Amino acid sequence: MELLRIEHVTKRYTGHTALDDVSFTVPEGSVYGLLGPNGAGKTTLIRIINRITAPDEGRIVFDGHELRPEDISQIGYLPEERGLYRKMRVGEQAVFFARLKGLSRHDAEIRLRQWFDKFGIMPWWNKRVEELSKGMAQKVQFIVTVLHEPRLLIFDEPFSGFDPINANLLKEEILALRRSGATVIFSTHNMASVEEICDHITLINRSHNILTGTVEAIRHAHGEGVYRIDFTGNRTNLETALEGLGRLFPAERESEVYDSILIQLASHESVREVIARANAQVDIHNFKEVIPSMNEIFIGAVNGKI
Amino acid sequence: MGRAKIGAIIGREFNYRVRKRTFILGTILMPLLVVGLAIAPVWMATVKTGGDKVIEVIDRTGQIVSELQSQGTIRFEPTDRPLDEIKTPNRDDIYGILTIDTVANGDPTGLKLYTYGPTSIEVEQTVVRQVRDIVEKEKLRTYAIDNLPQILQQVETPVNVETFRIDEAGDERASSSTLSMGAAYLFGFLIYLFVFMYGAMVMQGVIEEKSSKVLEIVVSSVRPFELMMGKILGIGLVAVVQFLIWAILIVILGMAAVAWFGANAALGATPTEIGNLSGMAELAYVDPQALEALRNMTDPGYVTGVFGGFIAYFIGGYLLYAAMFAAVGSAVDNVQDTQQLQIPITVPLILAIIVLFTVMRDPQSSIAFWFSMIPFTSPVIMMARIPYGVPAWEIALSLALLYGGFIAMVWFAAKIYRVGIFMYGKKPSLREMCRWITYKN
Repeated sequence: MELLRIEHVTKRYTGHTALDDVSFTVPEGSVYGLLGPNGAGKTTLIRIINRITAPDEGRIVFDGHELRPEDISQIGYLPEERGLYRKMRVGEQAVFFARLKGLSRHDAEIRLRQWFDKFGIMPWWNKRVEELSKGMAQKVQFIVTVLHEPRLLIFDEPFSGFDPINANLLKEEILALRRSGATVIFSTHNMASVEEICDHITLINRSHNILTGTVEAIRHAHGEGVYRIDFTGNRTNLETALEGLGRLFPAERESEVYDSILIQLASHESVREVIARANAQVDIHNFKEVIPSMNEIFIGAVNGKI
Repeated sequence: MGRAKIGAIIGREFNYRVRKRTFILGTILMPLLVVGLAIAPVWMATVKTGGDKVIEVIDRTGQIVSELQSQGTIRFEPTDRPLDEIKTPNRDDIYGILTIDTVANGDPTGLKLYTYGPTSIEVEQTVVRQVRDIVEKEKLRTYAIDNLPQILQQVETPVNVETFRIDEAGDERASSSTLSMGAAYLFGFLIYLFVFMYGAMVMQGVIEEKSSKVLEIVVSSVRPFELMMGKILGIGLVAVVQFLIWAILIVILGMAAVAWFGANAALGATPTEIGNLSGMAELAYVDPQALEALRNMTDPGYVTGVFGGFIAYFIGGYLLYAAMFAAVGSAVDNVQDTQQLQIPITVPLILAIIVLFTVMRDPQSSIAFWFSMIPFTSPVIMMARIPYGVPAWEIALSLALLYGGFIAMVWFAAKIYRVGIFMYGKKPSLREMCRWITYKN
């Protein structure tokens, strides 16, 4: 089931094209990473999904129909540039934003009290925003984003500016929201968090969609046929036995007990042959494919190597 | 749903602003200041400045001093001692010394007033007036005319031109050009002031939202147009509420002041004392016809008309200019950058003030007519004409143009605003801002 489909979206500004024929599909219940270097067009795309701005070409399909103004109440958005009204009181402000999303004042207050209790920030209710620390303000913003229980959540660089404890809290909350059925779009260049929580990604570079798929599939697809063998036994014998099957590299040792070696398989050779020959020479403790991290894929893709 | 959202925005804007300390202070202090400034001159006149001003008089003619009469705080005391003897430095028991040398050909000469401090106009004029009256009376007496006092009384001719305005229904109403002029200036200027004050508030609010980055969250929930209108209407509501509180407080304080002051004046002050004063005090002693005009101008129907006109033009003018202020605010990151972009706003407003002075003198001129039709100047100019009386159709047309102008202006402003709020960094030129109007969303 898809929740959101981006169809051939193009957006031009005077002087440059922010998005050029970008298409992808966000499955319902997924955590979807929207990746790309600064200025790639991520924020423009997010603004289009939020109906802040309209695409020049293409369309957005939400839950089976073209995105409508009233769908906005189904979307929660935490922008990268986070701001609150500095002079306004926290509780009052949260109620205001909830009302903008279509909640009644009454419902908003009930839900807010639950969230404030959960985060242990009830004492802040009557404080002015300017009295809060940055991390405190971000908690408030997170609550404001999710309060109306949207089906689609969009977080633009959610972890920037959070300390590790709050970042972890945020991550847990995002995963909890997913478990309760929400779909999450993440815009980030923090690749570690992508591997950790994203199922799917789309990589946008210079206004183009250059890579789309599940994190698993992409990492495997970008594997370069490199395998790692952890073993005990005579290293020279192993190297001689594997000669001709591919290029050998020394591997960083991870253990006192066994030795390790990397092999990049020549295209016509099979993994079975490697295991058979190695098995004849040494005791194999571990055999696995080395797949690149998202970070390596990201850098490779942006630099045009993929 | 859209209405609930715009309601939330208006509510936020209103609640936030009316709870500000500056709002509460301004709302209370302004009427105090206005009433205070109005009654201060009158009040100061009733307060005796220091003790009596004793003036010793050396009258070498021997005819005048006996007729001099103490007036208010000024007291004349005849003395026979020579000038050199009494004119010692640093005397603080007297105010000064008056010498009168001779009366030659019937005219007094050698009048000299020595004082131990700055000579006040009041003292000097009192001396001149009294001496003149005494000598004139003396001269008349030498003609030995019978029944002179009665003759003089008969000759005295008070002339009052009663001015009436024939209104459309053919009824006549007493009018006063002086009072109308005062009202014209007051209302015209107030509109100018308020439009600027609250318009700038809109602009600052937009800049604040932009620089605190709160805009992006808000416009992900409402259309930029709704946000802009919500802000304009919210601050407009603040303005109307503040204005009504001001009006009510000024009326109450003014009545209290008049009651209190009136009682005091009746007890202590003499008419002459007050007659010498300018401003408000003079109004209390103008001729009966002006009083009649004043009564007409404070007639409930007239007051309601002017007040209603003021509210209608204030709201219209505010809305028109607030839309422009919002557009300017959206284009910049901080208040300092607004100067140049505000030119299209300030020029018509200042032009209106310049034209206001012409209109006050001739409210029926074609300049007055046209400037009270153009939406950019009509709030100030029409408000200056209304106290003189303006045909209903002119007001209706002018209001229609004003509110139509507002709708057109909002349309343009919203286009600029929509683009401007996402423009950070370089300050745009006016030409660039105008180009934003043609941008697609």
